[in-house]
Amino acid sequence: MRRLVVLSLAVLVAALLVPAASAQEEGDEVVLRIGLTQDWETLNPTSGFAVSEYEIWNVHYATLTDKAAADFETTPGLAESWTESDDGLTFTYTLREGLLWSDGEPLTSEDVAWNINTGRDQGWDNMASTVGNLDAVVIDERTVEVTSSVPDPKLPTLDVYLVPQHVWEPIATDYDAATQYDALDGVGSGPFVVSDFRKGQSVTMVANPNYWGYEGGEPAIDQVIFQLFENPDAMVAALQQGQLDAIQGFPAGSADALEADPNIEIVAGQQGGFDEIAINGGAIEGQPHPALLDLEVRRAINFAIDKEAVIEDLWFGLASSLETMSPSADPKWLPDIPDENRFTYDPDRANQILDDAGYLDTDGDGIREMPDGTNPIVLRHAVNTDGDLAGPIGELFLGWMEEIGIGVELASYDQDALFGVIIEGTYDTFFWGWVPFVDPDPMLSYFTEAELLNYNDANWTDPVYEELYLEQKEELDPDRRVEIVHEMLTILHDAAVYIPMYLGPDLQAYRTDTFEGWVQQPAEIGPVFFSNSSPSYARLTPVGGDGGVLGTGNLLLWGGIAAGVIVLIAIFVAVRRSSTKDERE
Amino acid sequence: MLGSLLTLVFVLVFNFFLFRVVQTDPIGSLFRGRNVPAATLDNLRSAFGLDQSLGAQFLYYLRETAQLNFGISYQSRQPVWDEIVAAIPATVALVGISAILSAVIGTIGGVVAAWRRNTWKDHTITSGTMVFYSMPDFWLGMILLVGFAVVLGWFPVGGMVSAGSNATGLARLFDQLHHMFLPALTLTLAYLGEYTLVTRSSLLDVMGEDYLTVARAKGLRDVVVRNRHAVPNALLPVVTLTAINFGFVLSGAIAVEAVFSWPGLGKATADAIRGPDLPMLQGLFLLFSTAVIVFNLLADLTYSWLDPRVEEA
Repeated sequence: MRRLVVLSLAVLVAALLVPAASAQEEGDEVVLRIGLTQDWETLNPTSGFAVSEYEIWNVHYATLTDKAAADFETTPGLAESWTESDDGLTFTYTLREGLLWSDGEPLTSEDVAWNINTGRDQGWDNMASTVGNLDAVVIDERTVEVTSSVPDPKLPTLDVYLVPQHVWEPIATDYDAATQYDALDGVGSGPFVVSDFRKGQSVTMVANPNYWGYEGGEPAIDQVIFQLFENPDAMVAALQQGQLDAIQGFPAGSADALEADPNIEIVAGQQGGFDEIAINGGAIEGQPHPALLDLEVRRAINFAIDKEAVIEDLWFGLASSLETMSPSADPKWLPDIPDENRFTYDPDRANQILDDAGYLDTDGDGIREMPDGTNPIVLRHAVNTDGDLAGPIGELFLGWMEEIGIGVELASYDQDALFGVIIEGTYDTFFWGWVPFVDPDPMLSYFTEAELLNYNDANWTDPVYEELYLEQKEELDPDRRVEIVHEMLTILHDAAVYIPMYLGPDLQAYRTDTFEGWVQQPAEIGPVFFSNSSPSYARLTPVGGDGGVLGTGNLLLWGGIAAGVIVLIAIFVAVRRSSTKDERE
Repeated sequence: MLGSLLTLVFVLVFNFFLFRVVQTDPIGSLFRGRNVPAATLDNLRSAFGLDQSLGAQFLYYLRETAQLNFGISYQSRQPVWDEIVAAIPATVALVGISAILSAVIGTIGGVVAAWRRNTWKDHTITSGTMVFYSMPDFWLGMILLVGFAVVLGWFPVGGMVSAGSNATGLARLFDQLHHMFLPALTLTLAYLGEYTLVTRSSLLDVMGEDYLTVARAKGLRDVVVRNRHAVPNALLPVVTLTAINFGFVLSGAIAVEAVFSWPGLGKATADAIRGPDLPMLQGLFLLFSTAVIVFNLLADLTYSWLDPRVEEA
């Protein structure tokens, strides 16, 4: 009996080990395997919002205009060209010839117009801000005219995902129906289209034979598989073993190990994402500590913060320094802050500023009081428990403030609760972050009056900033608009109310021995995928013409099985011996 | 029975208020940084009833829940119940199999340990299972993962099936078992100790009883004395423990699911807490509580069936 049990166990374990071999062999298919740690909630492009979801849409849907990999410049997408009216309000787009959806249906200007007009009327979450003022009219099968009711500097860029009208029209009868549709029809216009979605596990995409933009004209990859890992260390191991070709979002602590592998390249890709320590600017009166209403105190706090130490110690040097709020994935929008105006770490200077402004420690307890000797400066620093770095940054902040005689009380909130605290204004400082879009308008809008009690998390407004915001929103001269935005960001910097800590990278790694042709967006500093328009997928080719199929894996595997069986037999014999001995006693 | 029902009603009410102790704005929080016009946000708040008073929201929640309508998830925009149902099989398969294995193996281990008390077998079994029991389960999982999946490469590093595989039938089953092996081993090892200890001490109590001496005096073989006379009487606490543990099958493996990227209810819960996705959390907690209550009820019923001296309450 016992012998049977052990033997059948051995057979079972051996059998379990076998599928590892077959799973790696995809026949003649070339498969690109990508690991990521963020799940997909929905693949519906009108309502989803996770970065993992955007990546699928970037690949599944082509857009009317595309963005250059190098610098986000507006380039032809589904539209091969466009003309602009004299008043700059109307754009006439001409589609490429013979466009087809992945299911073979023609993709025409009807599709484009239907998306713009329906998205606007039904108010689809992800389209409303882009198409809210637009009206689209079909001229002929390949021509569509788009008119904006206000001057819109974003045009002619039209980068919303266009869904197939022939599939969606019967479903998207109203806002609820459109946003609650599961969108698993698999009909797309990008280089790969979704063929299988398993929530919490994987998304499989197959090459779209009707896509026009492959490097070399033909798809070099048959399938792209995104595999979800809850455990980032396991994902790193899978890349090292060659079970994956690329990974998105590895832990900073794994960088050294990955870098040491000659077949793995790591990328600390930047696309404008940053973290900040926000100071309550008191736009809604009475909430912050009164000292924070004094620009000098805020300047002192800025000087007391050692951003370089954070970049080195918490990010292992993989983040980049940042002087003012980053409004865009495109670095051209960031102004150059002159050296003499920068808040470079200098606690002595910070102390001097506070001394000069009359904030002295009159009772000798190590904490400065207001100039009238009352109300010690103790800041309520809110820690976002959903953020990995918020805890350590809170502790560091406490130390930095101690250096300049300011007390800190840490209070923890989860993300949702912190959002509520920010709206109530019952905080002095907190640490959080943003990931901007390519157009700077949304990020810039957060520091206006209209966003108080909503996303204005500096609780700060400025009349000049406000005026410039409205000006850039309708400025059609691109160079002038950049100048205005630079001026706005300089004002925000000088107000010392929003302390940018660093530009946080997307940590990515890919194997160099399986696929080649990864493109960074934007050039040199950006990520190779999970970027704004994810141009890599259509350009990747297998190294040596053969995909991620492993040769040595099977050998190791069978060796492993043999070892496992031997171990089991040994255990079996040992148990057998000892039990008979036991019975003999 | 009535007690169980009352508990369920209490849970139903409690769940609603639990997630609303802190007055928050889940829509504002979820949409932060998404470039969505304020008007859209307001529409969403009213679509999800968040602009109404707490009382009105509560009445709506009770009415809908009574009709088994758990609402629409804020994040996926799919019905909560569909989302939950989709995640149940993964968790039940993993935690269910582990619960059965740990109960069976742990109980056998406990019987052997008690019957051979103070021998090397007892010491090995007791200390061995205690070592695993006292380890945090996610840590044990990480060790097994590194050892068997990363270093040896015998098992996949995570997931439930090979991503992109379209195998069917037996091949698919084997693929799933292959993926399940390490997480199931982790959970089984982690919970063996409980059963071993309870069985061992319960059997030791029984072993002093006169009727065992009588059984031996009748000349019965040691194995028969153990299996027919001692063990059945020692199993009562084990049955209770098993039933209680089965109540946690649905909710019990959040950390291990995370280590092995297992797409179950634990992961769904962790995802719903971000946001927070209130309808999803309400649905999940109601399910978890119901499972615990039902299995406790079953334990009570089984107990009185196994031991007629226990009267049905």
